[in-house]
Amino acid sequence: MAKTFKLEIIIPEKVVYSDSVQSISADGTEGSFGVLADHAPLITELKTSILTVNDANNRTIQFALDRGFLEVMANNVVVLSDACVKEGEVNVEKARAEKDAAERTLSGGGSAEEKEKAQSILGRANTWLKLANK
Amino acid sequence: MLSTREIKQRIRSITSIKQITRAMEMVAASRLKKVESRVLASRAFTEKMHSVLSHLVSSLESTHPWFAEKEQAVPVIKVILITADKGLCGAYNNNIIQKVVKFIKEKTGKEIKLTLIGKKGNLYFSKGRYASLVEKYIPESVEKLGYGHVQALAGQLIKEYERNEFGELHIFFTKFHTVMQSFSTSMRLLPIDKGAFESKEKKTRGEYIFEPSAEQIIGNLFPKFVETRLYQCILESLTSEYAARRVAMIAATDNAGEMIEELTSSYNKARQSAITKELLEVVSGAEALVR
Repeated sequence: MAKTFKLEIIIPEKVVYSDSVQSISADGTEGSFGVLADHAPLITELKTSILTVNDANNRTIQFALDRGFLEVMANNVVVLSDACVKEGEVNVEKARAEKDAAERTLSGGGSAEEKEKAQSILGRANTWLKLANK
Repeated sequence: MLSTREIKQRIRSITSIKQITRAMEMVAASRLKKVESRVLASRAFTEKMHSVLSHLVSSLESTHPWFAEKEQAVPVIKVILITADKGLCGAYNNNIIQKVVKFIKEKTGKEIKLTLIGKKGNLYFSKGRYASLVEKYIPESVEKLGYGHVQALAGQLIKEYERNEFGELHIFFTKFHTVMQSFSTSMRLLPIDKGAFESKEKKTRGEYIFEPSAEQIIGNLFPKFVETRLYQCILESLTSEYAARRVAMIAATDNAGEMIEELTSSYNKARQSAITKELLEVVSGAEALVR
C-alpha cells in the first residue's frame, strides 16, 4: 500500500474532512499541484476550485473550495477555507440561486465593490455546480 | 401570619414560576449543546490558522505593517463588545459591561469608539454618560450572526484600519470554559501581537516553500485571521451566554423548590393552628354550656 499522510480540511463552521490519504491534487493561485507523502514543507494559497483526494483505500473524493490556504508540514496537510462542500452534498438549488443573483448584479449597475463581491460569489457557485454535475 | 388561602395562592404561583424556569433551563441546555459543537469546530480552525501563521511569521525577514504599533500616531481605540440579547443569565452581561467601563476609564485621553453586538450592551451604553462613544450597534441577534455577517464587519474594520482611522482594535467577550465556568475577557485584535506567533517554531525558518511569496500570503491571511478570531469570539460569547443562562435557571428552579417546601410547611402549620383554635373554641363553648 502506498504511503499515506494526514489531511484535514477545516472551515470556520466545522471540520469537513480528517483522515489519512494517499495523494491530493489542488489548484493553487500559481498553478495546479499534487501532494504525496513526504512532501517538502509548503504554504500556498488556493483558488476557488475543486480539490481531488485519493484516500487510503484508493477512493477518489472531490471537494469544492471557496479559496483557501494549504499547508504541508511533516506529513500533515491542512487546508483552511472559507467554505467547502464534499461531492454529493452540494445544494444545487442554492448554488443556482446564488449564481443568478450574482449574474444580475454583474450585469446591472453597481459599485465596483459590489461587483467584486458578486464575482467571487459567482466563482463559488460555478465551482459548486461543477462539482454537482460531474 | 398569612392565612392558609394566601399561602396556597403563593404556592401555586411559585409552582408555575418553577415550571417556567425549568423550561428555560432546558431550552438553554439544548441550545448550548448545538452551539458548543460550533465553538469547538471554530476553535480548531483558529488554532490551525494560528499555527500556519506562526510558521509564516518565523520565516519573514521584515516586520509586516500588520504588527506595527500605531497607537501613538492614531489615538483612536475601537472596542467591540459582545453581550446577550436577553437577560436572565446571571452576571453574564454585567461582568463584561463593567470590564468595558473600566477600560474606558483607564484610557483617558484616547478617543474610544464602541461597536456593540447584543441588545443588552446597547441598552447600557446608548443612554447616559457613555452614549457619545457608541459608534455602531449591530441589530442582528447574536444567535443569528453567521460567518457572512462577521466577514462583512471584519472587512470594514480592516479597511478602516488600513486608512488609519483607528490605532487599536480591542474585543470584549466571554470565553467559554465549562458550563460552570466562563471568563469575561478582552483581546487586542489589531495590531496583531507579534509575540504570540514567535518563539514557538523558530527552527522552521527558511525551510518552507511559499507560493506566492510569504509576504503576499501573509497579506491575504491576516485579514482572514482577524475575521476568524472575531467569529470565534462571538461563538464563545454565545456559548457562555447559554451556559450562564442554564446555570441561572437551575439556581432559580432550585430556589423555587426550596420556597415551595418552606411555604408548604408554613401552610401545614397554619392549618394545624387553625384546627387547634377551632377545637379550643368548641371545647370551651361546650364547657360554658355545662356550667
